[in-house]
Amino acid sequence: MDELQRRARGRGSAPAARFLPRAAAMLGAAVVCAVVSNALAGPERHLRWVGDYDSAPGRPAAARPGAPTPAPPAAQPSAGAAAAGSASTRAFPPHPEKPWVEISGDDVLALHERGDVPFLDARRTNVYRQGHIAGARPFSIWESDVDEKVKQFFAEGHDPSQPIVIYCSGGECEDSHMLATKLHMAGFDNALVYKDGYPDWQKRGLPVHTGDTP
Amino acid sequence: MNRGILSPWVTVRAQFLLAAFFVVAGIAKIVDPPGFAHEIHNYRLVPGGLVNAMALVLPWLEVVAGVALFFGVAVRTSARIIGVLLVVFIAALSVNLARKHPVDCGCFGTSTVQKTDAQRLTDMKWAIARDVGLLLLVAQILAASRRDVRR
Repeated sequence: MDELQRRARGRGSAPAARFLPRAAAMLGAAVVCAVVSNALAGPERHLRWVGDYDSAPGRPAAARPGAPTPAPPAAQPSAGAAAAGSASTRAFPPHPEKPWVEISGDDVLALHERGDVPFLDARRTNVYRQGHIAGARPFSIWESDVDEKVKQFFAEGHDPSQPIVIYCSGGECEDSHMLATKLHMAGFDNALVYKDGYPDWQKRGLPVHTGDTP
Repeated sequence: MNRGILSPWVTVRAQFLLAAFFVVAGIAKIVDPPGFAHEIHNYRLVPGGLVNAMALVLPWLEVVAGVALFFGVAVRTSARIIGVLLVVFIAALSVNLARKHPVDCGCFGTSTVQKTDAQRLTDMKWAIARDVGLLLLVAQILAASRRDVRR
């Protein structure tokens, strides 16, 4: 009995001395598991260890790190460009001083009807598959291949002053603003954020596609 | 035989319940780290550079502590870690509730259900209530294990 009491007193005498090494061991185990699982994850589930989500809106052009020189405008307009005459005549001038301008559903529809405006879907790819604006490309800001997609988009030779429509889920969703900031840092000066996002597009009964392709 | 709130019968069930809750919640986040990173970012409390590391490690810490608690290994340490996590979750939800910024809890990974801001704010209150309940289980486990040590 005395031995038990001594042991009990001993065990209770320095709780912090026991807690900290054990907690550190558990944290270490969690880090190891995280490193292994992240290394094995595919592009949709992989994460860079350091995020870059603090890109400040309105960053001046001079501060864009390593922004390549924009390529000349794409030579050949897409087939839908012929429909431009029937679309809204509102101009969307470039805005190099700020990464994005928010636009309404009517403006988005007019740009969609033009046919030569790229549409980028900033939501997760699994959500994109369930339904997206017809012609939109998946550009989830949260997936590790987003930088590759931006580089590829750049390499396609889009005019940096050409409107680019970006959308996510509307409301509090900031993914489209974050993607617009990334594109702005890559040299694109005319990102237009669809303020009310995909739910508004659906509500209007406008064309949507499902699956992996635009 | 002690049939009070600190009895082994209650303690074992509290351990299993807490362990099951944290293992399930952890796995739900592990399967989609970008989704959980998104949820953490929405709280607007964590610097952008730390969001991804937190999204990768935190779910595994939940699973490790939950499994340890389930098998009765380092019970007090596991319960304390879970207690600290619960306090952090409650604080994060409370801060956003106070500033009326609706967020998805993210407790069980990414929600694909579209909710209104009012629904999100209500869900946040329920999530806080649930976490307080889980914190009571942690208190029970710590109190019972301390009594075992002293006995």
